[in-house]
Amino acid sequence: MTCAACGAGVGEQDRYCEACGHKLSEPVPPTQPVPPKWLSSADAPAACSGCGGTDFGAEGYCDSCGQRRPAGPDHSELELDAMAGVSDRGHRHHHNEDAMALGRLPGAAIAVVCDGVSSSTRPDAASHAAVEAAAPALLAALSGGTEPEQAIGAAVRAAQAAATLAAGGEPGNNPPSCTFVCAVVTADGVTVGWVGDSRAYWISTMDGECLTVDESVAGRLLTRWLGADATDTEPRLRAFTPSGPGQVLLCSDGLSRYADSPAALVALATGAATTATTAAALVRYALDEGGEDNVTAVLIPFPFEEPK
Amino acid sequence: MTFQTEVYQNQYLPAGGTVVDAVVTVTASGPGDGGASAAPKSAAQVIMVDCSGSMASPATKMSEAKRATAAAIDALRDGVAFAVIAGRADADMVYPPRAELVPATPQARADAKVAVNRLTPSGGTAIGRWLNLANVLFAGHGAAFKHAILLTDGRNQHETPQQLAEVLRSCEGRFICDSRGVGADWSGTELRTIASALLGTADGLPDPSALVDDFRGMTEAAMGKSVAEVALRLWTPAAATVRFVKQAFPHVDDLTGRRTEVSARIGEYPLGAWGDESRDYHIQVEVPAGAVGEEVLAGRVSLVSGDEVLSQSLILAVWTDDTALSTKINPRVAHYTGQAELAEVIQEGLAARDAGDVETATSKLGRAVQLAEQTGHADTAKLLARVVDVVDASTGTVRLKQKVSGVDAELANVRSVKTIRVKEG
Repeated sequence: MTCAACGAGVGEQDRYCEACGHKLSEPVPPTQPVPPKWLSSADAPAACSGCGGTDFGAEGYCDSCGQRRPAGPDHSELELDAMAGVSDRGHRHHHNEDAMALGRLPGAAIAVVCDGVSSSTRPDAASHAAVEAAAPALLAALSGGTEPEQAIGAAVRAAQAAATLAAGGEPGNNPPSCTFVCAVVTADGVTVGWVGDSRAYWISTMDGECLTVDESVAGRLLTRWLGADATDTEPRLRAFTPSGPGQVLLCSDGLSRYADSPAALVALATGAATTATTAAALVRYALDEGGEDNVTAVLIPFPFEEPK
Repeated sequence: MTFQTEVYQNQYLPAGGTVVDAVVTVTASGPGDGGASAAPKSAAQVIMVDCSGSMASPATKMSEAKRATAAAIDALRDGVAFAVIAGRADADMVYPPRAELVPATPQARADAKVAVNRLTPSGGTAIGRWLNLANVLFAGHGAAFKHAILLTDGRNQHETPQQLAEVLRSCEGRFICDSRGVGADWSGTELRTIASALLGTADGLPDPSALVDDFRGMTEAAMGKSVAEVALRLWTPAAATVRFVKQAFPHVDDLTGRRTEVSARIGEYPLGAWGDESRDYHIQVEVPAGAVGEEVLAGRVSLVSGDEVLSQSLILAVWTDDTALSTKINPRVAHYTGQAELAEVIQEGLAARDAGDVETATSKLGRAVQLAEQTGHADTAKLLARVVDVVDASTGTVRLKQKVSGVDAELANVRSVKTIRVKEG
């Protein structure tokens, strides 16, 4: 006979399994699923970018030169299982106002990218708060069995609430605001949701496609965003079933302004060994082309495979 | 007692901009939740009454000064230490007879009033001597809040301005002094100088019959002070310069030079004692220019009593290339900038007029009339109209009046620092 818990052979008289220690007279406990896990680029830097000082007051300003401590670092690289993301301040902006998060749960991988609206107050506060709220909300909804479309809706509501709170007690005329794009990748398909002009692309060795439609006019002015002054924040959604393996790319317009067409992105992504090197190559390309804006690229392989 | 600070500013600066303006409104109100903490602090008050010879003409000056002093004595809380000084070319104790303060009791008040009633006008005026004696009386006393009232009917004739300035320096921070001129012959500049150095108020009362209410009011306000020594603590970033810190309401008072350094980036400015009241401060800080999109804390304003922080607010600077944002001037900042200029042009205009410089006087006082009209300062406009003939207020066109009663010019001078508050912004 065998142990019901681990399958090892056990003797007739044994009370415990020699291999795993299971008490053979008791029922097998249900297997614990791998707990959802996520990480984000939100991490206030330890040193002031203005003077290198390391003391900050309670309000988040450098004790020496007074510069505001940003919500995220100038450059960050994230890796989770086979997913990877790279975000960079670029050459022109003072802070990195882009934020990203990666996550997974049994059966799905998720990623979120938010781009702080540069003309708003403290945009990095909105974008980092939004990804930090959206990622766990998305994972929680999916864990509870919610379909990806509805789960993305819950994630955007959480992100909108967090971006609104980033404005503090007196939002003013121009409160912190950001765009939003996220993807849920399973073994069978891809679902993306977005508010604003951050994009999701499908890229593979065979083909490429932009999965989102910019919510902006004249390529510059956002028509929808998240933040205390946003009125319409329901995400637009797109479900997509790839015909073969490939990757989902989430990016801010700091990348897409230099590589707009799926074909260009496919070409840039081809040849890189891993998602991490692909993301790094895409960001490097945008920086070399001028780096006028913050630039962020996140890659999720399709189909989703459970981590070993 | 609780303190609240509110900041009014336009935080947006254009690219390359370095000057940050903010108006900080400080409001103290009590008793808050506990009540016990708002119990008035132990207090002491010295009243300096001018008894120079000129107080005899008209005689109502001396008689009303006596009545007013009696009213102030009656307004003292039981137990408040007090004394009355007669001011001439020297200073003499009126009550108590010895150079000391005594607690207010029914008997002490009655004795003091008897002594005050015996005062007779004679001799000259040396205000520094009076203040010096008040300083000596306060020095030996442990009261938390020390308040003085100074009444004069004339100019400080029997000592030099340098002598007075020296005494004021020795009194600074030791007690608060409200100064008043009665009749027609006092100097607005002298009263303002005393009030400014000793964190009090200054005013002139041409009609002696107004003294009683005024003395009672000043004493009652002093009895209502429940936090004795408040200071404005200002943190500014490295490489920043504090251009000025001015009280902007209820009257203009430049505090910039009263700064004491607490640490490399922190300085304190004394604000005196507080009761239920609200004051505005205009702060201007120069910071190194930041890049567009950068945000810095240009100042952290705290109200402190000793080391206890009563309230705190932030002054920010954000650089933007959006000129619609950076060109806006905060209405309160604009208003107090105008009020400070108004005070300045009145004082400069009157000084030029005294010096016989008609051209400067006409131009400065014309600008004053224009500013008073623009900022809705009706009281000041009325006072100015006694000194100049207004041809067109909107353009500031005026002619100096040929005959001006001296007291009108002094009133315009002493009240030049009084400001009004705007509601919005």
